[in-house]
Amino acid sequence: MPANRTSSLIGREGIGGAYFLLTFRHAETAREARPGQFVMIKAGLSAEPPLRRPFSILEASPERESFTLFVKAIGPGSSALCTLPIGGVAQCLGPLGHAFSALPEGTEALLVGGGYGVAPFSFLGAEIGRSGGRARLFYGGRTAADLPLLARLREQGLDVAPATEDGSVGTSGQVTVPLQAHLDAQARPQRLYACGPEAMMHAVARIAAARGLEAEVSLDPWMGCGMGTCLGCVVRVQGPGDARWKYRCACTEGPVFDAARVVWPGETESRARQAAGART
Amino acid sequence: MKLAVEVGGLRLKNPLLAASGTFGYGVEYEGLIDLATLGGIVSKGLYLEPRDGAPPPRIVETPSGLLNAIGLQGIGIHAFVADVLPRLRKHDTALVVNVCGDTVEEYAEVARVCDAAPGIAGLEINISCPNVKQGGMAFGGDPRMTHAVVAAVRAVTRLPLIPKLSPNVADIAVFARAAEEAGADALSCINTLLGLAIDVETRRPKLGFGTGGLSGPAIRPVAVRMAWQAARAVRIPVIGIGGIASAQDALEFLIAGCHAVEIGTANFVDPGIYERILGELRAYLERHGNSDIREVVGTLEYPGEPKQCQIGGTS
Repeated sequence: MPANRTSSLIGREGIGGAYFLLTFRHAETAREARPGQFVMIKAGLSAEPPLRRPFSILEASPERESFTLFVKAIGPGSSALCTLPIGGVAQCLGPLGHAFSALPEGTEALLVGGGYGVAPFSFLGAEIGRSGGRARLFYGGRTAADLPLLARLREQGLDVAPATEDGSVGTSGQVTVPLQAHLDAQARPQRLYACGPEAMMHAVARIAAARGLEAEVSLDPWMGCGMGTCLGCVVRVQGPGDARWKYRCACTEGPVFDAARVVWPGETESRARQAAGART
Repeated sequence: MKLAVEVGGLRLKNPLLAASGTFGYGVEYEGLIDLATLGGIVSKGLYLEPRDGAPPPRIVETPSGLLNAIGLQGIGIHAFVADVLPRLRKHDTALVVNVCGDTVEEYAEVARVCDAAPGIAGLEINISCPNVKQGGMAFGGDPRMTHAVVAAVRAVTRLPLIPKLSPNVADIAVFARAAEEAGADALSCINTLLGLAIDVETRRPKLGFGTGGLSGPAIRPVAVRMAWQAARAVRIPVIGIGGIASAQDALEFLIAGCHAVEIGTANFVDPGIYERILGELRAYLERHGNSDIREVVGTLEYPGEPKQCQIGGTS
């Protein structure tokens, strides 16, 4: 059950450019959060800017009753959070949404994070590692500066394959280049988890469909409430048995969805529906 | 300290209601807040049948405001009565259904279903949604249509009827009087202001529907002015809506002549807002030597006008 209350900032670490790691005290989120869940949070108690912002949970520490966010200061909401003084308060509602589903035994998890969309994969990678599973992270951005978590994720023990479009670190090109190479080289069962720009998640969905792999994506539309009441964050979703897609709230029915059930931009039905149609 | 009010036959334990479209069907907040804190809950707009709503993106933040085009996505009145109402009724708060229709007949039919369902305290008639192609604002933008919808609903129910008026008109008093003449028990003022936000890179509207409805603190002075004009134009009570985020904001509407208020966009910012505003309202009354919230209603001292006594309404 999410809890709504003020939450004080207990740690802030600038990690290059506009990127920050912000740690807040919030017992319920610290205790109950699962990888892929998020909080709706807003700095201070002022009216401006009006809305809270959704952020994936990077790490949760039940012992310290705190959770950490990976935030890029790009607009008024995220900038206000990143300039909050230590001890300053935020209004926080969490933990919210559906987490990534558990990795089936004997399966390798391939995590695909683009830019600040990498946020949920520290948590997910650590959890998979703790349960004895294998996880490999494909971490993409335009340049090395867009991968500020790279060293930290490696220190955490994650196997990370970076990719940058300018080639400044890792494979040169989009994150799907090393992903495809890895898939070509490995025959073991694999499962994909993706979070990042919509075009990247769409590409991962196509790769998964072409190879017959399961994939989950964490979608990130504008959210108003986080509770499924404003209906502002809907996405088009269609299961194999659904005659047509339906609008689903990313906040309460996601943000994690089966990639094969999402009706991506420019498409009229989901991969799952196309596959079901092809069989009949 | 008495906070209870009665608005056109709608009995509320305090003057704060959740505005339609900003609180879902109420049950979403079970467990997060105590719903009995609210004077009442106005449901998401309901047609006879379920609706998909408008294409995304559906919301965009603007200075001190929120521009939305949700397009009245909803589960339909039958699913509400069968699945939501039994659960919602367990909470000690007044339940108001926001009634929608593409036609006059559909409004009346939704109202008839509500009339037969136990536990509904009143009906807010949505003649002011800017985000649907049919119905909605078409009925709220022509006083004859406003009259026709309200009269048709009046004919099928004795529940308190509260048309929700549009601010997207030249003179809201005309619409307030049309609704009153047709048998309305109270008025909700106002719905969202029609707006347009443009992405300058793509040169397209930021919302999937195109235009949207503006809400939040940005519209409050406009809302207070229009609620005040409506309250002066009719004898029935007015429920004020528009950008309320604090007791001070709510008091502006009450002083302007409203008997209750609805909280909208602020629900998204803080679902725990009701407890905070009620505490602030009690403190205000104490500070001003009042023992009853109704003593505040309609106490505006407007320049050049004689001091008002309490206006309109039944309380």
